Amino acid sequence: MKSYVKIALFVVVFFAIAGILAALIMFNKKHPDTSKAKPDFVVTAVTLQKEFEDNEKTASARYINKILEVSGTIASVTAADSSHTNLSLKTGSDMSSVICTFPSNSGVKQYKPGDDITLRGECSGYLMDVLLNNCAGVMSRK
Amino acid sequence: MKRLFLFSLLLTLVLGANAQKFMTKNGYIGFFSHTPMEDIKADNNQVVGVLDISSGEMVYQALIKSFHFDRALMEEHFNENYMESDKIPKSIFKGKITNLASVDFTKPGTYDVTVDGDLTIHDVTNKISTKGTIEVVSGGINASSKFNIVPEDYKIAIPGVVREKIDKNLGVTVTMKFTPVAK
Repeated sequence: MKSYVKIALFVVVFFAIAGILAALIMFNKKHPDTSKAKPDFVVTAVTLQKEFEDNEKTASARYINKILEVSGTIASVTAADSSHTNLSLKTGSDMSSVICTFPSNSGVKQYKPGDDITLRGECSGYLMDVLLNNCAGVMSRK
Repeated sequence: MKRLFLFSLLLTLVLGANAQKFMTKNGYIGFFSHTPMEDIKADNNQVVGVLDISSGEMVYQALIKSFHFDRALMEEHFNENYMESDKIPKSIFKGKITNLASVDFTKPGTYDVTVDGDLTIHDVTNKISTKGTIEVVSGGINASSKFNIVPEDYKIAIPGVVREKIDKNLGVTVTMKFTPVAK
């Protein structure tokens, strides 16, 4: 009987600890590191913007919340707030681009308009432009 | 000939109107919640804003999914449970500077303004009125404002367990760096 209680106690304590650990892991879950993450899609900025312009609904279902690897030519680099920098990529449209938000300390400031770049980011959707967040550069060429 | 004249007149009007329009696609909206239990902050650096200095009208648009939190789980809850951003992806503000006469857009400086307008969050529209500043700088116009919103006013349901962790009045900060719309 006594060993029975011991086992029961052990099981309860085990699940309690497992539960607390799981909760802690969930709570402290990090955003994916896009510099290392495997992309769900590899596209060019031109194609990506065109897909959203042609059919926002289909493109949204396909790309939102996914990690995209996008390549294109940099149109502008703009300091957005104290800790973020936005980089916009040229597309086939004058009005619409692909805007990618980087943490400012990620080395984004080395990029210049006109450079070709391949970057990864999480797609948030389409406003006037295709928006990517949590971006990281993969490769660039002057 | 008449048609050409009309066309050029229209073109002048459009271009003329354009000279009065300022825009940004890198605008900032952030919110902050402070409670004794926890401080929560979210930033969005992808806000589209348009300001028409002839009428004082302004329009801001933001994607909910572009708001970013330090904790990934918090961001997930914000999108899935509170804002339902798959169903309601955007938030919009349409407003107007009510004391436009007190701003001299030709003279660099900082001007206090009041903005009245409709704020739509989570598909619920409320009238808001807030104070802000317009800063005329070389090459553009900076606009900023701070105000508070109550999540429940926008039918954002926050369950009891979490309610104590989120401020009843969320502090919202808006900062825009407008540049003239290119002709």
